[in-house]
Amino acid sequence: MDSSLLANAQTVVARARTGDPEALASLYRAFEVPVYNLARRICRTAEDAEDVLQETFFEVCRSIGRYREEGSLWGWVRTIAASKALMRIRRNKYRDTDELHDEFVGQRQEDTHLRMDLEAALERLSETSRAVVWLHDVEGYTHEEIASMMGKTPSFSKSQLARAHARLRVWLGEEGTL
Amino acid sequence: MTHLSMEALLGLREPGLEPGAATAREHLNQCPLCQAELDRLHQRVARLKALPPLRPGRDRWPETAARYKAERRRRRSRMAVLTGLATAASLAVVVGIGRMTQPASPTGEELHQTMERSQALENALSAYNPEGRVLDGRTARMAQELEDRIARVDRELEATELLPQEPPQDQLLQLWRERVGLLDALVDVHVTRASNAGL
Repeated sequence: MDSSLLANAQTVVARARTGDPEALASLYRAFEVPVYNLARRICRTAEDAEDVLQETFFEVCRSIGRYREEGSLWGWVRTIAASKALMRIRRNKYRDTDELHDEFVGQRQEDTHLRMDLEAALERLSETSRAVVWLHDVEGYTHEEIASMMGKTPSFSKSQLARAHARLRVWLGEEGTL
Repeated sequence: MTHLSMEALLGLREPGLEPGAATAREHLNQCPLCQAELDRLHQRVARLKALPPLRPGRDRWPETAARYKAERRRRRSRMAVLTGLATAASLAVVVGIGRMTQPASPTGEELHQTMERSQALENALSAYNPEGRVLDGRTARMAQELEDRIARVDRELEATELLPQEPPQDQLLQLWRERVGLLDALVDVHVTRASNAGL
């Protein structure tokens, strides 16, 4: 993130609230990469992630007047981004089922000597599992928060995370007892 | 010996006390294999956090800003209709009283007409749907410049609405005239471009 924005965050937000295009552009520049990164880690394609980036900042521009400065600015932007990314994966209605992944695991069991790198393994997860892994393990959301954003239960989020880690462990060729 | 499941290992990382956490911890303390598995889990999460950030392939700000500006303009247009109605209503009262006492100021009526003209141009632009069309570079630059200037006028209009006292009508009239002039030019840019391209 752009530290110069963070140093002047209050001024930039105050100006952005009046619709000042330069201030809004500053917000975009400051959070463009983390928002895109979050979206790209969750969405299947770069195009989807770019759309999420645009949707997020359109919403930021529209709603900056409602930002109460109770939490961090990044926390507020990130919640919008996460919600837009989850909406995108719901809307796409990809065949985000376990069939594909079980099939893939079956193949993997035959060639477990072949290690994947973490990026590739993450990419192989279903969008829902990847979203849970990213939001929980990297962004630090709780299972309750993820469940609320996804319209599911915390148990759903927990079991998605456990299954995702079990798969990552196999795909990464990590030896163990489980 | 039954080792800890992935769910149980993940539960140990949660801040609160997960169901069965005490038993799981007890097993963990005695089981080097599960300790190693938990270490691997911690390392995997650390590696996930350390992945380099991915960057967008292209700049999406111009599109986002244009979309936001267009939405503001539409919002302004809707507000103008409401303000226009209110102005018309107050004008009717003023004219009614004016007929009884003295000639009405032409400014109020002209303001109302200018707002109506602005609305008509907005409708024309909306029907033309410029956002859904591809523009050549020169037209896009001209349209963008006009959009920026309209946005500036809109901000000034919004600022006058936030004033504690009623803004002078001639000041409002001047801003609305400027807005109509810019919208006229914007319609012209789009329509001329469309007719030149035979669209």
